[in-house]
Amino acid sequence: MSEDNDKTSYDSDSSKPDKMFTLKKWNSVAMWSWDVECEICAICRVQVMDACLRCQAESKKDIQSKDGACVVVWGECNHSFHHCCMSLWVKQNNRCPLCQQEWSIQRLSS
Amino acid sequence: MSLKPRRILFDEVWGCLKTTVEKVITLRAVKKDKWNDSFNDVYSICVAYPEPLADRLYTETKLFLENHVKSQLDDFGVYMMEVNDTDNSQNQLLHKYYSAWKNYSEGLGFLNSLYSYLNQQHIKKQKVSEAEILYGNGGHLSVAQEQMEIGELGLDIWRIFMIQNLGDILVKQILQGIERDRVESNLSSKDIETLNGVIHSFVMVQDYKKKGNLKLYENMFEGKMLEASGEYFKSQASKLLQTCSVSQYMQEVIRILDEENIRAHKFMHISSIQKLKKECEDRMITDHKYFLYSECKDMVSNDKRDDLKNLYTLLKPIVDGLKELIQFLLEQIKNEGTESVMNLKGENIHIQFVENMLQVHQKYENLISETFKNDPLFLSALDKACASVINSKLCDGKTACRSAELVAKYHDSLLKKSKSTESEIETKLTKSITIFKYIEDKDVYQKFYSRMLAKRLIHDQSVNMELEEVMINKLKQACGYEFTNKLHRMYTDVGISMDLNNKFNQHLKNQNNELHINLSIKILQAGAWPLGPQTAIPFAVPQEFEKPIRDFETFYNLKFSGRKLSWLHHLCHGELKVSLAKKSYLITMQTYQMAMLLLFENCDTLSCKDIKDVLQLNNNENFQKHLQSLIDSKLLTVDTEKIEESSIVSFNLDFSNKRTKFKITASLQKESPQQEVEQTHTQVDEDRKLYLQAAIVRIMKSRKVLKHNALIQEILSQSKVSFAPSIPMIKKCIESLIDKQYIERTANSSDEYSYVA
Ligand SMILES: [Zn+2]
Ligand SMILES: [Zn+2]
Ligand SMILES: [Zn+2]
Repeated sequence: MSEDNDKTSYDSDSSKPDKMFTLKKWNSVAMWSWDVECEICAICRVQVMDACLRCQAESKKDIQSKDGACVVVWGECNHSFHHCCMSLWVKQNNRCPLCQQEWSIQRLSS
Repeated sequence: MSLKPRRILFDEVWGCLKTTVEKVITLRAVKKDKWNDSFNDVYSICVAYPEPLADRLYTETKLFLENHVKSQLDDFGVYMMEVNDTDNSQNQLLHKYYSAWKNYSEGLGFLNSLYSYLNQQHIKKQKVSEAEILYGNGGHLSVAQEQMEIGELGLDIWRIFMIQNLGDILVKQILQGIERDRVESNLSSKDIETLNGVIHSFVMVQDYKKKGNLKLYENMFEGKMLEASGEYFKSQASKLLQTCSVSQYMQEVIRILDEENIRAHKFMHISSIQKLKKECEDRMITDHKYFLYSECKDMVSNDKRDDLKNLYTLLKPIVDGLKELIQFLLEQIKNEGTESVMNLKGENIHIQFVENMLQVHQKYENLISETFKNDPLFLSALDKACASVINSKLCDGKTACRSAELVAKYHDSLLKKSKSTESEIETKLTKSITIFKYIEDKDVYQKFYSRMLAKRLIHDQSVNMELEEVMINKLKQACGYEFTNKLHRMYTDVGISMDLNNKFNQHLKNQNNELHINLSIKILQAGAWPLGPQTAIPFAVPQEFEKPIRDFETFYNLKFSGRKLSWLHHLCHGELKVSLAKKSYLITMQTYQMAMLLLFENCDTLSCKDIKDVLQLNNNENFQKHLQSLIDSKLLTVDTEKIEESSIVSFNLDFSNKRTKFKITASLQKESPQQEVEQTHTQVDEDRKLYLQAAIVRIMKSRKVLKHNALIQEILSQSKVSFAPSIPMIKKCIESLIDKQYIERTANSSDEYSYVA
């Protein structure tokens, strides 16, 4: 601020020693994705952001099925997978495929 | 009178009956009671006691009729001897025969009624074997073998005694009559009636037969008639060929076909109409089809629609007649299409490409509808030709086919803000779908389209959102849901974002939290948007942006769970108010540029290194690009020619611009177009693999077990909508699914797969 005062002839500007730069408008863009450690589902090897391979195969004829069908699941171990993939997996083996801890669901995506 | 059978004297009764029969067959008047008596006579003979005399009656009646017809025939003797070429005698013979036939057949009808009792009760309908009745078999039918109804018997007697004797000479004269009708067309209506009557007598005389009733007509008359007509057509054709152009020849042939059709209806049995037409076509069209083809090219290139219409009319009924014309048209459309889109130059190649191609398509579509009756064969040739032009790798002399890209660009240019009205735009979009449908690699189009759509949506460049949706729906209609899935998700993201912004503003208000900037945030879902690899460039966000970001993220996490946001600063822009001594300016620029300028709030000069360090902009290219744009706009100055780490950058306090509101058009994502195109193609390849894998899983899930070749066929037919995959690519995808244990090879066969549940 102090340096500014020296250079700018602020007497011409009637207002208080205003800031020279003011942000008026901001059009920003953000991308959302699942908050996951690994972006690829270790079970089906498809990005968790996309529907799993089986769901993609089925959704072919679906009309505008909100992508809600194939959600993401987080375990207590914080590993995450497609919920579809994990549901099939736990039928055979109730452990996380990545860390071998006992699988228990922490949360589902929304 | 009594109906009781009684003893009768045959000769007496028959003698009486015969006088009536004689009158009836010659159409002389018979008194009512006389007729009734005779009717009873037939009855009493048939039921006579002690034995019925029906057979005898039959024999006598037959004999009577034979004698009657024979005596008629004798009357023709004179004419037969005298037959020569004078019209008169010819007519005389035909007229005489016709009137004799007319009387006889009418009288025979009455006679048949008179003999009703005999016909119905006595004559057991005996199957008349074909062989015995055949024309030419000749001779008498013995009563023992065969009895017919009296009407039929009479006709048969006419055939045997009259037609067999007179037939050849009658036919000869009929043919002369027809010839005269062709050449002089001056037959009197009496002549016409006679010809018709004589010809039809050949049919009527055997009309009672259930099978083969046209045999006599065909063998005796029709064959010769067709032969003579063929000769006539042949000579007509060669006469015309000497003087006529193709155009005139066609008109003549159409006229002749027309006349022959009328002629056939005028004289002949209905079964001959088609045959005569065919004979005429064979002699006048098929035999000279190369003559007709010879001017195809001229007709098409000079748009001689009447000639083309005639050509179509003539060739349509000919076997394979249209083949050559269709092939020619196909080539013509191909050449014209190729010419119209080859060597396009300038800024608007995409517009020229689509609109030129549309013009060619419309021209020929119109031609086909107006001259070829929308014949499906021609329409499919049009499709073939257009598809071949549009998918040709040579269309602009480069190696890759650019049509998918060009059509997408065309759509982009329509959907971007412009001066056109909404309905103009929609009309153009609708028309262009015609061209779009011919693109083979629709997935390539989709990739380009989605990139352009992303830019329009992110930078608010769309004419309006309704049109965006209209277009997505058009594509969906053409290619199905899967094709537009991601496009639709992008479209809905924009709507959801608007909604989120409103809710966020409400949320801030509720908390009495004032941000003092006009904030608008677009939230895109990862995966749906084709934003390329440079998603997040590391960057220390200036504190001015920090608060809005933090506030929004808090709000967002309240609404959704398990989601994280990453800010795409290279896609953000804003308005910065720069207040200088003399004037204030409102400048639109990108986030990075704003961040750089904001550093000068507290100091006048900074080294490049300082700026980089504070903003943590490690990507040098990115840094240089944005700094350069600020220097170019004269807001900043630099003390060296080239920007280097040690260069000193100062804010230009003397900055001045006529306008107080302007935009720094920094090189917004300056990927070279060529790079972008290449990237797009690489991504298409990746997507194809994913698509194929999903298709394989889907197919295998429903079929469980499938042979390799059957699987390949299924995949090819399913992927047809968007692209034609290569076999090696499919094989790769199968292998990778085996690795991922979605499918496996069955134990007993190496070229069979089964689904792993
Ligand atoms: Zn999965
Ligand atoms: Zn799923
Ligand atoms: Zn785990």
